[in-house]
Amino acid sequence: MATSKKRASQKQFTYVIAVIAIIGAGALGWMATRPKSGGTEIDPNLPVGTAEGFVLGKPDAPVQIIEFADFECPACAQFAMLTEPDIRARLIDKGLVSVKFYVFPLPMHKNTWSASNAAFCANEQGKFWEMHDRLFYTQDLWNTLATSNPDKKMKAYAEELGLDASKFNDCYDSQRHYPNIKASGIEAQNRLIDETPSFIIGGKRYPGSLPYDEIKKLVDAELAKVGAADTTKKGAK
Amino acid sequence: MIIAALALVGLFVAMYLWFFKLGLIGSLSCKIGGCEKVNTSPWAVFLGQPVAMWGVLYYVAMFATAFASTLERFADDRRAALALVVLAGWGVAFSGWLTYLELAVIHAVCMYCVISAIIVVIVFVLAVVEWRSTERP
Repeated sequence: MATSKKRASQKQFTYVIAVIAIIGAGALGWMATRPKSGGTEIDPNLPVGTAEGFVLGKPDAPVQIIEFADFECPACAQFAMLTEPDIRARLIDKGLVSVKFYVFPLPMHKNTWSASNAAFCANEQGKFWEMHDRLFYTQDLWNTLATSNPDKKMKAYAEELGLDASKFNDCYDSQRHYPNIKASGIEAQNRLIDETPSFIIGGKRYPGSLPYDEIKKLVDAELAKVGAADTTKKGAK
Repeated sequence: MIIAALALVGLFVAMYLWFFKLGLIGSLSCKIGGCEKVNTSPWAVFLGQPVAMWGVLYYVAMFATAFASTLERFADDRRAALALVVLAGWGVAFSGWLTYLELAVIHAVCMYCVISAIIVVIVFVLAVVEWRSTERP
C-alpha cells in the first residue's frame, strides 16, 4: 500500500517536472525565435550618406572635443545630464572648447534610430541641441523598455520644442536622414570607437563617460600645446 | 520534490537572462525595475563569465541533487539533504550579495534576480527542514 502510494506520488512529481520543463522550454524557444518587435527595422541595403557632426560652441575654439554617443545608451544620458552642463558653462561658453557630436546607434537599442532621426530633423529647424537634451533627459520615457513605438513621443517632443510640426513630421516620416545616421555610425567604427560615449580629444580616443575633472585636464593639456591661455586664467575651474 | 520543481523554475529564469547576455532574445521583458541596467552592469560578470551562466550551472546542480534525493535509494541518505542545504545556503549568500549590489551600487532592481533570490530562500528553508527530518545513521 505504502509502495503504491509512493509510486503514485513519484508519478505526480514526474508530471509536475514535465509540465514545468515544457512551459519553460516553450517560453524560451518562443522568445528566442520571435521577431524582434519594436523600434525601427533598418534596411541592410540602406545607402551611406554623409557623416554629419553637430557642433556646439565656436567652430574655431582652440580645442575640439569629438563625441560619439547613442541616444538610447544610459551612460550617454548620464554624461549629458551630469557632466555636459559643466562643460558647456565652464569650457564652451568661455570659447575654449567646441564639441562635435556624432550619433553612434548601437544595434541592441531598438529606438535609437528613431531618436537620431528626431534629432536630425530638429536640426533642419536649428534645434538639434534642444532635441539632444530632451532625448537624453527623458530617455527612460521613450527607450526600448518604455515603448515599442517611439514615434509619438518624438513628434510630441518636436511640438514641445516649438518646431514646425508639419515640417518635422514630413522629415521624420520620410526617414531621409537615415543614410546620414548610418554614415555617422560608420564614422565611429572607422575611428575604432567600440563603446558609447567615447571622446576624441587631441587626436586620442577616450572611451566611457568621463568626469568633468578629467576632461578639464585633457583640455588644459591641449590648450598648453596650442599655446592658448590656461583655462584657469580665463576663469574656468 | 518541491525543491526540484523550484530548481527547474530557477533554471529557466537563469537561462532567460543568459540568453539575453548571448544576444538571443533582444531586450529583456521587464515591466518592473531595471533588468537591462543590472544585466549590462560590470557586476553582471563573475570570474570572467556572465552571472546568468553561473546561475544556469547552479540550478542544474541543484535540480540534479534534488532529483537524486527523490530516488528511492537516496530516500534516507543525509548526504543528499546536506548537499542541498549547502547549495541553497551558497545561493542565499550569493543572492544576498547581488541584491546588495542592485540596491546600493547599481541603483536598479532586476525582477528576475528577485525571483531567483526568492527561490533560493524557499529552497534553503525546505532543504533545512528536509535535512533535519532525515534520520541520523
